Amino acid sequence: MWHRLTHVISCKEASRLLSQAQDRRLGWLERLKLRAHLALCDFCSRFDDQLRFMREAMRRLGD
Amino acid sequence: MALDASAFVTELDSHRRYLLRVARLQLRDPDLAEDVVQDTMLAALKARDGYSGASTVKTWVTGILKHKIVDAIRARQRAPVALTELDEDADIDEFDGLFKANGAWADKPAEWGDPEASLSRQQFFEVLEMCLDNLPPKTARVFVMREVMELATEEVCKELAITPNNLWVILYRARMALRLCLEKSWFKGPAAA
Repeated sequence: MWHRLTHVISCKEASRLLSQAQDRRLGWLERLKLRAHLALCDFCSRFDDQLRFMREAMRRLGD
Repeated sequence: MALDASAFVTELDSHRRYLLRVARLQLRDPDLAEDVVQDTMLAALKARDGYSGASTVKTWVTGILKHKIVDAIRARQRAPVALTELDEDADIDEFDGLFKANGAWADKPAEWGDPEASLSRQQFFEVLEMCLDNLPPKTARVFVMREVMELATEEVCKELAITPNNLWVILYRARMALRLCLEKSWFKGPAAA
């Protein structure tokens, strides 16, 4: 049941989109699907936080 | 912070091999890497009075190196790297194991807590560097180019003669591997609170 709610896109697809969002602007439909998924999936929201964290950590590495 | 000049030179020199390793990895041209490190050393010596001691000398001089590397990448005219050099081992599906057949996380991402709690610790950056060292070299190079040198997608693609899609696959791999390593070695590691 949980899976059905979040299955607009899967976590696997969401993880790929979240990674790409770090490097390009997502299309409006991609953003919509991603937001629908993130609204219901804490794990992918965490993954998004982790991506941002890693970006900041890498940036500081180069300072 | 007024450092004795000769002590400073000795200190800088102790980081030379590390700087060369970073420059070689990014530039793939040992002679250019040598030049860039020389420039960095000179710039560091000239800027000695500006070194505040807020970070370690190694961190400070690496920052100078980073800018010199970016300048070198942007300035040089060279033939694009052969695509075969970037055919890395696995492909994106190597991370299939992280997801179940229905696309859900097999190993759910853990809570990493307050970012500053990690980012304020020197030990964290040592673990981060260890995790970066564990990445396949070509993946690491691309990832550092994008995330440390902060080159834009187009610049990285142009430098490496790869398509944006190639790039995004490589970066995805790097990020998935890095987060696994960090989760294992830092957030859930023996030192974790």
